[in-house]
Amino acid sequence: MQAVIGESKKAFMTGNEIVTWAALAAGAEIMFGYPITPQNEIMHYWTRLAPKYGREFLQTEDEISAGFTVCGAVQAGRKAFTATAGPGNVLMQEPFGMAEAMRLPLVAVIQQRGGPSSGTVVYSQQEVTLTTFGGNGEGHRIVYSTATHQEIFDYVIKGFNSAWKYRFPTFIMGDGYQAKMREPLTIYEPRERGIEMVAPYPLVGKPGHIGENRDPAHLCNIYSLEEELYEVVMRHAADYERIIPEIIEYEEKECDDADIIVVSHGVVSRAADDAVKALRAQGIKAGYFRPITLRPFPQQQLRDAIAKSGAKKMLVAESAYGQLYRLIRQEIYGETIPIEGLFMPGVGIVDYDIITKVKGII
Amino acid sequence: MFRFQSHTDRIIEAYIGEYASGKSELAINRALELKQQGHQVVLVDLDTVEPFYTLRPLKRLLEEKGLEVIGLDSEEAFGLGETGAMLTPQARWALWREGDIILDVGYGVMGAQTLNLVEGAFESPHLRILAVLNSLRPMTNSRDRIVEYLHSLGRVDAVIANSHLGDETDAELVLNANQIVFAAAQQMGLPVEYVAVEERLRDQIPQGCFPVPVKYIKRYMPGAMWR
Amino acid sequence: MTVSPAVPKSWYLPSKPHKFCPGCGHGIVLKALGEVIDELDILDRTVFGCDIGCSLLSWNFFNCDSTQTHHGRTTPVMVGIKRGRPDLITIGYMGDGGGYSIGSQHLLNSAVRNEKVTLILVNNTNYGMTGGQMAPTTLPGQKTETTPYGRDTELTGYPTKGPEFLSALTQDSAYIARATVSNYRQLKRFIKNALRNQIEGNGFSFVEVLSTCPTNWRTNAQQTLHFLEDEMEKHFPVGELKNPLGKGDK
Repeated sequence: MQAVIGESKKAFMTGNEIVTWAALAAGAEIMFGYPITPQNEIMHYWTRLAPKYGREFLQTEDEISAGFTVCGAVQAGRKAFTATAGPGNVLMQEPFGMAEAMRLPLVAVIQQRGGPSSGTVVYSQQEVTLTTFGGNGEGHRIVYSTATHQEIFDYVIKGFNSAWKYRFPTFIMGDGYQAKMREPLTIYEPRERGIEMVAPYPLVGKPGHIGENRDPAHLCNIYSLEEELYEVVMRHAADYERIIPEIIEYEEKECDDADIIVVSHGVVSRAADDAVKALRAQGIKAGYFRPITLRPFPQQQLRDAIAKSGAKKMLVAESAYGQLYRLIRQEIYGETIPIEGLFMPGVGIVDYDIITKVKGII
Repeated sequence: MFRFQSHTDRIIEAYIGEYASGKSELAINRALELKQQGHQVVLVDLDTVEPFYTLRPLKRLLEEKGLEVIGLDSEEAFGLGETGAMLTPQARWALWREGDIILDVGYGVMGAQTLNLVEGAFESPHLRILAVLNSLRPMTNSRDRIVEYLHSLGRVDAVIANSHLGDETDAELVLNANQIVFAAAQQMGLPVEYVAVEERLRDQIPQGCFPVPVKYIKRYMPGAMWR
Repeated sequence: MTVSPAVPKSWYLPSKPHKFCPGCGHGIVLKALGEVIDELDILDRTVFGCDIGCSLLSWNFFNCDSTQTHHGRTTPVMVGIKRGRPDLITIGYMGDGGGYSIGSQHLLNSAVRNEKVTLILVNNTNYGMTGGQMAPTTLPGQKTETTPYGRDTELTGYPTKGPEFLSALTQDSAYIARATVSNYRQLKRFIKNALRNQIEGNGFSFVEVLSTCPTNWRTNAQQTLHFLEDEMEKHFPVGELKNPLGKGDK
């Protein structure tokens, strides 16, 4: 496949553009999309660039269709992806569920916007529950929550590999701010960094002749008997649990002696990082913990941070009304540390908000 | 009857260019510069594709600095679902106003054609269309890509060299990265209007570093996001 | 002395001046609709529902009850209202994206079921509010933000012809027409017929209106009209495709 980036270099870009360049660098072959703010520029840049690199695009009639066309293309052995937000993410839960059920290597970029419903087109972290556990399934998904433009590039590339290696639908979750913000980053060809891209392969239309040297592919997505479905789901669950240690990613700072641990994810963790530094400078022992994978969740690592620090409190800061908070509570069930929330649904959080909250509860 | 104002010394500049190339930033700086020189200045938000990283959130701040700003307030633009890609009637008739006019044109496949939306723009003898170029943006990071991009824009009267990496910009980068812009402009036979450099690098990049003037700019746009 | 412009009585004045871009056709369509609501004297029992997109800017355009829905879901919401309260006059107002793309399954099935709603679909060949992407109605070769090299019919097919396909699906009691903002009297007549068809309890009523989007077309006034009258009307023939009201009513 044609080199996209060439020599690694610094670039100044918006988050949405980065998704496109990273997907091209990762060898994505086709995008299916439907217009929704704030992810439109992913499509705008993909449609400009794709023909130059022999890649394809289809604008579908809606998000339901965009998700299902991705499900089809990956079965055909193509590296396919989509991008959406808010109500589009809701509509895509149906195809996302199919990808979960059939273990399809679907990749979706979610740029969270305000909710519920049409909400705002601007920003939020209110798609955590939906992206991690949406659909009528068990949440067998891989969800990366990025915080910087460099991470958007890194994790889109990584996301394609996770999807094709583990065969669980994979999400790179940003938000409207990350989509529109502009900052410098380094772009590179994966192979230059020693990243081997997992080659896609077809699930249908494989070479050979049916009845002679291959069997027909009968891909199943509905079962006659409860027992059949039970076995499938239990097998998926076992597969998922086995790979958790390989997938889990998190970031931890200053937790060794922390009196209070500030937990956040995505773009809010930039404010949390600044806040923890400022609090430390003022003599308040604050620690920083950030799950990068929201599914699977680094629950043991968070439990360890609580244990080693002996922290007396935890603060969960998020631009939602307790979605990360609920996720954490279920993941670290049994811990007795009191957990407080700084919930600012649909609006940005700055370091000052966190500093003030910490001082008020410590 | 409606007539164009016949100021002979009137300035009408349209800032066009790639997404995130720095159009709004330079348009704001230019408008404030003219204001400081004692001109009456109207700054027009013509961004129709990108609904929110525009100068809208800065509208009030700029009005306090004495600029007349045509564009929707954030509240007006946000309240209605996808609302964002809209043009105000005031923008369409902006050239009927007194004073210098600085047009901040959003990105998009139509390029300079967007100026069709401003009544009388292409007929005006004063209009200058300035393409803002940052060679650290992948779409315009080589001479060939810049030339291809400029061709796609339609009419361009001059280019502005605005190569930078945000907070990571240093003097060496400004001096090197803008060479591509100069080379592309030369190939196209277009003048380089000026080189835009952040104020903090003034001492390291004095006038004379480039064959054209250096303009020292202040960054306002980072304030547009986290209100 | 200031002379107020003549506006329909059914317009909600606090929401004026409206927010559509200069040169946009929505205002013309909504003026015609307002005048028809006045003339039919149905303001009190009209429910106006608008889609997401530019059509959303019309949600408080009229003095009648109105409702916002989701993108593409205006049709089922209006169907629900009509089935719940058949005495109400329900008007669904949507763009070409909402009607022919994301809501096409609803449009198609409500037509097949002969739902007694009136739907007005504004065709401006692009997704306006999200910044000018390709719509189902984008003309071959037309440049949009997602067809930067022009619409390639090999890859994306030809423009959707809504009234034509709805005609093929519907019973004789349905009213199906295509109007244009460049012919106001005809536009108003078609909208009136579509509402009368609902009022008389005949069945499904649909008017597509060819409209203008200079903001995303990046056209000046002359180019805008040229595109509407010479380009769009060539692809999308204007006229009534089905009219159960009888000749005398046209």
